[in-house]
Amino acid sequence: MNRRRISLSELVLLAVLAVVSGFVYWALVQAWIALQIAMGPFGDLAQNVLIGGWMVAAPLALYIVRRPGAGIVVELVAALVEVAFLASPVGPMLLVVGLVQGAGAELGFALTRYRRYDWSVFVLSGALAGLASTVLGMVRFGWLTQDWFAWRLGLQVASGILLCGIAAKVIGDALARTGVLDNTALGRARRQDPATPAPVP
Amino acid sequence: MTGLGQALPHDSVLHRRNPTVKLAVFLVVSLVLLVPVDPWTPLALLLLALPAVACAGRIPLPVLGRAALLFGPFACSLLAVNAVTRDGPVVADVAGLQATSTGLAIGVALALRTVLVGTLAVAFSLTTDGARLMTSLHQHARLGARPTFAVLAGYRVLEDLPQRWTTIRQAQSVRDPRHRAGRLPRDPASLARAAFALLVVALRQGERMAIAMETRGLGSGPRTVHRPVALDRRDAVFAVVVLSVCGLVVLASWRAGVLRTWSTV
Amino acid sequence: MIEVRGLGVTFPGGVAPVLRDVDLDVPPGEQVLVLAGSGAGKSTLLRVLAGIVPQVVDAHVTGRVRVAGLDATTTPTADLARHVATLTQDPTDQLCLPTVLDEVAFALENRGVDPALIGPAVDRTLSAVGAAHLRDRRTAELSGGEGQRVALAAALVADPKVLLLDEPTALLDPAAARAVAGAVRAAAGSGRSAVLVEHRLDELGQLPGRVLVLDPDGRVRATGPTLQVLHEDAPALARLGTWLPLSAELVAAGVDRIGDLTVTATPRAPAGPTVLSARALRVRRDGRTVVDGLDLDVRAGRVTAVVGLNGSGKSSLLLGLAGLLPVEGTVRGGSVGLVFQHPEHQLLARTVRDEVAWGPRRARLGGVDERVSGALESYRLTGFEDRDPFRLSGGQQRRLSLAAMAVCGHDVLLADEPTFGQDRATSVACAEALRALADEGRGVVLVTHDLRLVGEVADDVLVLHAGRALAHGPVDAVLADDAVLRGAGLPLPPVLAAWRRTGHPVRATLQALRRAGLAVPA
Ligand SMILES: Nc1ncnc2c1ncn2[C@@H]1O[C@H](COP(=O)(O)OP(=O)(O)OP(=O)(O)O)[C@@H](O)[C@H]1O
Ligand SMILES: Nc1ncnc2c1ncn2[C@@H]1O[C@H](COP(=O)(O)OP(=O)(O)OP(=O)(O)O)[C@@H](O)[C@H]1O
Ligand SMILES: [Mg+2]
Ligand SMILES: [Mg+2]
Repeated sequence: MNRRRISLSELVLLAVLAVVSGFVYWALVQAWIALQIAMGPFGDLAQNVLIGGWMVAAPLALYIVRRPGAGIVVELVAALVEVAFLASPVGPMLLVVGLVQGAGAELGFALTRYRRYDWSVFVLSGALAGLASTVLGMVRFGWLTQDWFAWRLGLQVASGILLCGIAAKVIGDALARTGVLDNTALGRARRQDPATPAPVP
Repeated sequence: MTGLGQALPHDSVLHRRNPTVKLAVFLVVSLVLLVPVDPWTPLALLLLALPAVACAGRIPLPVLGRAALLFGPFACSLLAVNAVTRDGPVVADVAGLQATSTGLAIGVALALRTVLVGTLAVAFSLTTDGARLMTSLHQHARLGARPTFAVLAGYRVLEDLPQRWTTIRQAQSVRDPRHRAGRLPRDPASLARAAFALLVVALRQGERMAIAMETRGLGSGPRTVHRPVALDRRDAVFAVVVLSVCGLVVLASWRAGVLRTWSTV
Repeated sequence: MIEVRGLGVTFPGGVAPVLRDVDLDVPPGEQVLVLAGSGAGKSTLLRVLAGIVPQVVDAHVTGRVRVAGLDATTTPTADLARHVATLTQDPTDQLCLPTVLDEVAFALENRGVDPALIGPAVDRTLSAVGAAHLRDRRTAELSGGEGQRVALAAALVADPKVLLLDEPTALLDPAAARAVAGAVRAAAGSGRSAVLVEHRLDELGQLPGRVLVLDPDGRVRATGPTLQVLHEDAPALARLGTWLPLSAELVAAGVDRIGDLTVTATPRAPAGPTVLSARALRVRRDGRTVVDGLDLDVRAGRVTAVVGLNGSGKSSLLLGLAGLLPVEGTVRGGSVGLVFQHPEHQLLARTVRDEVAWGPRRARLGGVDERVSGALESYRLTGFEDRDPFRLSGGQQRRLSLAAMAVCGHDVLLADEPTFGQDRATSVACAEALRALADEGRGVVLVTHDLRLVGEVADDVLVLHAGRALAHGPVDAVLADDAVLRGAGLPLPPVLAAWRRTGHPVRATLQALRRAGLAVPA
């Protein structure tokens, strides 16, 4: 865990992650609408299938920056970007959504005190993020009193594990290979870890 | 067409309101709207909100209508799914699924809420400059200088993204000897490769921008703002008016006995 | 003002130091030019002076670095910025705010300057760099050249004591490069110390008084009065691959004037069949016509260069020819490959080997492995096979993108600014690679701001001005036509101006100059 004040380059990195995910989220909305139509009467479950993709920035940010709060901050910034710059029809409610989802993903890492970054932590983080957003859905849309609640819960957690937790680790590792993350906690950790080959000069 | 994060290029009462106040009021209204799940409360608010934003923001109705297409599908699916997945007296049998009156009422309520919030969101983004919002959050909501400008740097990345996305897809498509003129590949693998390159390039750009801002002294001490965003009594009036109208409508629907919440449906 | 003693820099993961034992003194009011080949550590030196390395970018730094009386390796970058202004290598990535006004005011706001004084200071600085007309624009809508001027104004506005400039003219057309170089000179004149990295020395006009030359291994090779150092060391510098001003090149070649070179005429490339033919081509972007009524025949075995100011439609023309933008008119011919301006945009595999093998595999060509190793060999990329392409240096990425396109066996290859930001040696290597493709019987179209490169490889030249063809013909004729060059707004670099007085073919003359420079023993 890193105790220095968060640096400007880390903040900008979080902002860029948020922006690109905001942009990709927008693309995901198109996929969501398509899937919604394709699933016919079960169209409303489409959002539960894809939910993980909307939350991937949080564990990815934590993986890269390795600071408490990074997951929440990146989701909040992503929400701010969508509200202020991408004209999201959900409006400022997204700030609440981002806060809850970020907190869910963050919990998995907080439980290991931000020290472990192996697959199990990402699975845990993704599952918790899926769970947190289910709770939010219960408040917003009354999911608990609907017939499909068990389906929704299962889909949300599975989607959280796959599209949020595991995807974050896959993307983070691929990014680290390219060298753009060399000056981040992730890049430094990989340099110290003898298992990953040192970059050739 | 306005650019990403830019307001409609005219002036209006809504344009002139302080962005932080607008955002905060809107957030409170959204949270209040989580409570009622009967159709009447959101309907009343929607009927008040539509003419209000069209006048106060001087937003042409066709523009509002086109924006409604964005959240229309979601509103419809909310209506449909709630109608058939809730317990209650059955009113219709649609393709083997039973629509209940309780479900229908909640469905209409949630759909109307979505349309209402969507309308407000469109009004907000069409009358608010994103960059001025950030300046205002910095001035009036004590958002630190570094987070503020980190988000603004993110905005620059965002402005470049659509063009970069096209360029990257073009650049990668000509790498395929079988590519056909005038068509960009849309298969998931190609899109994923392009998205990854986009992420790498954007992160590089971000790193350079962070360095550029630091070498121009961001974060070295107290700073001034050369074009401050105004905050005055009219913003307070705006907040009081919007919040009281909202509160009065909820109160009225409670007194009229139509208000329902999750615990009373 | 700047005092560097025994500076050494090693990047983590790097085996060898990038800079070793560098000493540098810059008294107040003096300007120093830093000269070295690609990857020798010029940008790293400036980043140390600006307090970026090691504080923002990880590195192991030894030695003493004092800038404006502060220790640059420990003073926070933002605090150092009260005295130091920096223009980093990629100018478009320095514009961080949505409007030009905010961008230029930013440094003053960060210093806590009274808001009432900021407006006038911004206007003054914008006028000083010739960008007053850009005051009310959005940064996202600026062209490369305009963006570079605004970035310069944003650096100068706070009246820094020290100015650090890394290739301030890299992406500009020759006219804009001269204008920006003039603005830099004017800014550096008034008692400021400046350290400048620049490749396009002939575009600078007057060179800074002192020079620091670095060896490829990051040691100081020479330092002293610019012309004296460059002339004494000219042959060795030519071999190191740094750019040199014409006068030093002549010294390296051992002649007084270009006319004294012995020029052996090379045979003109035979014109093969037409492989790509465009008629009445028109390209629109955002409803604006950016290429208008263009006829072009690309012949096998010949290199056609396209030149013109920033925004004259060169890149749009290539995109149209490659079928990536909708066009009016006709484009007929064989298969077309296009090498984009930024190599990063075109990379899609996770290792260098896969990157090159990508096209042949897709095309189901036989003997992929041989093709790949052959291409890696000829583009000098052996040893990097397993590296992630994004981890290569800019010059290496550029060669990789050329190699990956060359192995696909297209009939026509289009290349957008293949040599920008390259040193002399890698730039020549790229040029030779393109020439070799043409000699194999392909048609090659090359877009560039470097008129000297045009003279070195092109057979034909197309001059674009505001989307229209101003001239199209053999390279010797076009480069000798004052009316065309003036009409296109393209000033000739000194070496081409000197060539015009010789009466020899341009390619042979430039080749003779280079060969003579490499032949004289150091
Ligand atoms: N952050 C970094 N991490 C690892 N290696 C780096 C880093 N920055 C630069 N290098 C390496 O250090 C060497 C010097 O780089 P630098 O950018 O200073 O060269 P340069 O002289 O400016 O080259 P060019 O003319 O291409 O701009 C290069 O080999 C480069 O790959
Ligand atoms: N994506 C785009 N959308 C709209 N207009 C564009 C776009 N790209 C370029 N343009 C405009 O088209 C014109 C031609 O641009 P183009 O990029 O072809 O110029 P260029 O000659 O390649 O310039 P440079 O030397 O700066 O690369 C310019 O006026 C430019 O502003
Ligand atoms: Mg450099
Ligand atoms: Mg171009």
